[in-house]
Amino acid sequence: MTSKPIISITDLNKTFPGSNKDLEVIAVKDVTVDIYQGEVVVVIGPSGAGKSTLLRCLNGLEDFDSGSIIIDNIPLNHHHKNRLEIRKEVGMVFQSFNLFPHMTVRENISLAVRRVRKKSLAECETITVDLLEKVGITDKIDSYPSQLSGGQQQRVAIARSLAMNPKVMLFDEATSALDPVMISEVLDVMKNLAKDGMTMVVVTHEMGFAREAGSRILFMDNGEIVEDRKVEDFFLDPNEDRSKAFLSKVI
Amino acid sequence: MKKHNYLLDGIILLILILAGILGFIRIKTGFSYSWSWGAIPQFFFRIDELGHLKSNLLMLGFYTTIKLSFWSSLAAIIIGTFMGILRTRKNLFSRLTGRTYIEIARNTPPLVLIFIFYFFIGNNIAAAMGIDEWARNLSDSGKNVLSFLFSKPERFSEFLSALFTLAVYEGAYVAEIIRGGLESIEKGQFEASDALGISSVDKYRFIILPQVFRKILPSLTGQAISTIKDSSIVSIISIQELTFQGMELMASTYLVFEIWITITAMYFVLTISLSTLATFLEGRMIKY
Repeated sequence: MTSKPIISITDLNKTFPGSNKDLEVIAVKDVTVDIYQGEVVVVIGPSGAGKSTLLRCLNGLEDFDSGSIIIDNIPLNHHHKNRLEIRKEVGMVFQSFNLFPHMTVRENISLAVRRVRKKSLAECETITVDLLEKVGITDKIDSYPSQLSGGQQQRVAIARSLAMNPKVMLFDEATSALDPVMISEVLDVMKNLAKDGMTMVVVTHEMGFAREAGSRILFMDNGEIVEDRKVEDFFLDPNEDRSKAFLSKVI
Repeated sequence: MKKHNYLLDGIILLILILAGILGFIRIKTGFSYSWSWGAIPQFFFRIDELGHLKSNLLMLGFYTTIKLSFWSSLAAIIIGTFMGILRTRKNLFSRLTGRTYIEIARNTPPLVLIFIFYFFIGNNIAAAMGIDEWARNLSDSGKNVLSFLFSKPERFSEFLSALFTLAVYEGAYVAEIIRGGLESIEKGQFEASDALGISSVDKYRFIILPQVFRKILPSLTGQAISTIKDSSIVSIISIQELTFQGMELMASTYLVFEIWITITAMYFVLTISLSTLATFLEGRMIKY
């Protein structure tokens, strides 16, 4: 690809400090990666590999120690304004949904659109209704999150992020807290999103999703990117021993 | 399961009743006090020269206690929310500010605080800011509004120092309640809000604080009740609230028991209505 990457990560390092040197955890080590518009990058690897930390660095939920992240031409640094700008353009879906429990589905989805994007009430309503249709929950607009199933909650959470009309969506183990039936309803929404051309960075254990919807695999272990390959190549012919060992366990 | 021994309960109850009767007889014979409850109602309301019903000392004190408690609770919640948030921030300066305020306000006797505020704010700052003068030069309707909401214009700066003292003192406890509430909110709520690009102010206003206040409503009610009770200490700087009026009446009538029992009952009416209201509100809240 010749166009400019939408996410550009260079030499990213992140260490969680411990009480002494032995207890320090290196979460992300010398990660350099470019992600282009429309790509669906699936980040896989054993637990503790630093996948979630890498993802959380991308929208500033986690501070990094060194290196640089540039998203949509905005450098993510200590400038608060930059961070807010990036967060507007980068949506995130969490493992534990994190819907606001005291608000209805409508309020959950429209809050950020209204307060951050400063859209009018009528526009908010249109966006909310459209997105709920997209994620397949039209009849729950006035329900509270506790009245929804896990799968429905996660789909509302996806709609809430999409409402900001982001350029990139991050998924942090979005299906790990769900049972099998609900996993597929959430994955369907994510697949449709990928089909529509959304740029996505997805941390997941769902190899089926990676195969079907992914365009690139980042295999991480001990904070490093071990392999960065096209999906078909990775599954057919992994290069590294570590990825072979991992694949033999999960497939 | 062990069988309940009703006989033992009965015997204990009987002994208590007998002790009560004996005690009553003993006090009745040894304690010569002529009760005159009849004198009390006139201190609630009086009829003036024109035949209108007017509030008298006890009711005036009651109103002042209500006004003082209301404003200082409100101010305490505002100060406490702000300081409680500072206390939980990552930034060292914020945390130090919150912590310093809480420790100073909480570890000082309120009676001492009241003197500091009275001589400092009441005598110097209020004068320097011209608050007394401003209150005295208000138009008649302005004076009426001021009296209705706060206190008589000529006593406004004393009222302010009482209000500040109570707000600062109770605010420290509110700050700790708020901090507890904030720490009980899942980290994911903060993260979800940050990830949406919501500003810090909006995050607290729309997402965090509504959840916190619902959780801490019972503790806040307790603190508001404390404020009502603690407001009695401002009688020391001649704020004419309930306790002050009680002392005045006692000095002029010597009806020690009647007056203090009445005043206890008036405080009780105030605090019990507040906690009933809070229970009602808790029941009315939307369940989620």
